[in-house]
Amino acid sequence: MAIREAGDRTLPTFISLLVVGLLLMTFDVRLEGGGVVASLRNGTQALLSPVQRGAAFVVGPVADIVETLGALASLREENQALRGQLASTQAELAGIQGKLARLEILESLYGLRLDELEVGRTPANVIGRPDGFDLAFIIDKGTSDGIALGQPVIDSFGYVVGTIIDVTGRSAIVVPIMASRNGVAVVVGVQVGNLVSQPGTNDMALDIFEAREPVIEGDEVRTSALSGVFPAGLAVGQVLRSAAPESASLTTVVRPYVQPEHLQVVVVLAWPPTPAIAATTTTLPEETTTIPDEETTVPDGGG
Amino acid sequence: MRRPRPTLAAALMMLVAILIQTTVFARFRAFPPDLVMMTSALLALTSIRREAGIVVAFGGGLVIDLMGSSLLGLRAMAMAAVAFTAVKTRERADIGRIGVAIWVGLLTLLGIVLLLLVGTLFDQRSLLGDNVLSRIALIPLANTVLSLLIAPLVVRVISRGSSYTFA
Repeated sequence: MAIREAGDRTLPTFISLLVVGLLLMTFDVRLEGGGVVASLRNGTQALLSPVQRGAAFVVGPVADIVETLGALASLREENQALRGQLASTQAELAGIQGKLARLEILESLYGLRLDELEVGRTPANVIGRPDGFDLAFIIDKGTSDGIALGQPVIDSFGYVVGTIIDVTGRSAIVVPIMASRNGVAVVVGVQVGNLVSQPGTNDMALDIFEAREPVIEGDEVRTSALSGVFPAGLAVGQVLRSAAPESASLTTVVRPYVQPEHLQVVVVLAWPPTPAIAATTTTLPEETTTIPDEETTVPDGGG
Repeated sequence: MRRPRPTLAAALMMLVAILIQTTVFARFRAFPPDLVMMTSALLALTSIRREAGIVVAFGGGLVIDLMGSSLLGLRAMAMAAVAFTAVKTRERADIGRIGVAIWVGLLTLLGIVLLLLVGTLFDQRSLLGDNVLSRIALIPLANTVLSLLIAPLVVRVISRGSSYTFA
């Protein structure tokens, strides 16, 4: 049996640390993650990220093998389902070709010059996660790779993941949207709403304040042009529950496409872009012009 | 005066636990242990200086807070509470390897409940994500199993020359 030490200072030590912990939490809330707290985070990341990168390099292939072996059966099913999806997507693509041709004609008729916005993309590997209760994760790219605070992050399919909340020279921390206290301005059909996280689930609550029409289960939710964080048009998730407007407002549940716990590779978007987009002016021709009828052909079968 | 070597060894052990948890175990989400919490409990149950055990646990939790998005100090407080409870029950926990492993599992459960309670008070809604109940059950279980394997190593490193062992 261990002998009790004379002058036991256990309780005063514990109480002191509790007070320090409470003070730190209060500072973090007041500073909203900035100031001294941000400096501490940066310093810790700068110290630990090289080791995390090395560990991820070593452990990654082994973990991939273990995960693949464990998911072999479901991978076969997933493969079958993806083959079917590919076939229908190819058919859809062929149908769009006709519309693209018509668009080109219209653009040339009216002298439209649409400046296509090229958003810089930086792929990054996920090299670490704090623990099982924090959805945030660490990536292996930082300011030396052009990453900046607040930049949006998507996955390899283009679905919204979250934003960069902390960045050092060689690493950054990403917070997924379902773990963030900030809402995301989104659009469902033609209606604009706000998507916010909910406690106890990764599903998010969608609030539309000037709802004119109902939303249907399965409707796709995309980022809105009103979002200051994400480019417009990025897929976020799907409506889980149909809902009708009540007193011009509507609330429903959205399931994001992304499951942050399973991400291994993400893409950081250089958004917002710094150069201003030149305004385009269009002048309609005085004489009328006959536009060819829209023709779409869908080839038989697929894949 | 006590040599500082056990405290240094404890701090190094905590650092290794942090690195393994945030890299290796981050990939295996099915049965995820909380290595930092387990290490906090195990270190406090050895013959390390009581105050040192609590401070090392607090520091480990602080580093985890700094690597994530949650409030700074949240996990630090939970780890310190786990270490404090372990220190206060050190004598009673000397009941063999299996008994110690079960006690580490229960301390992990205490730490997780504290983390969620205090986190909820500070609006850390991301803590209560999907499958939170299964995680509350699985993490202490994983820690119990792991500590069966790791406890002798911890004792060997920290308690060298001490009569305190997990019999």
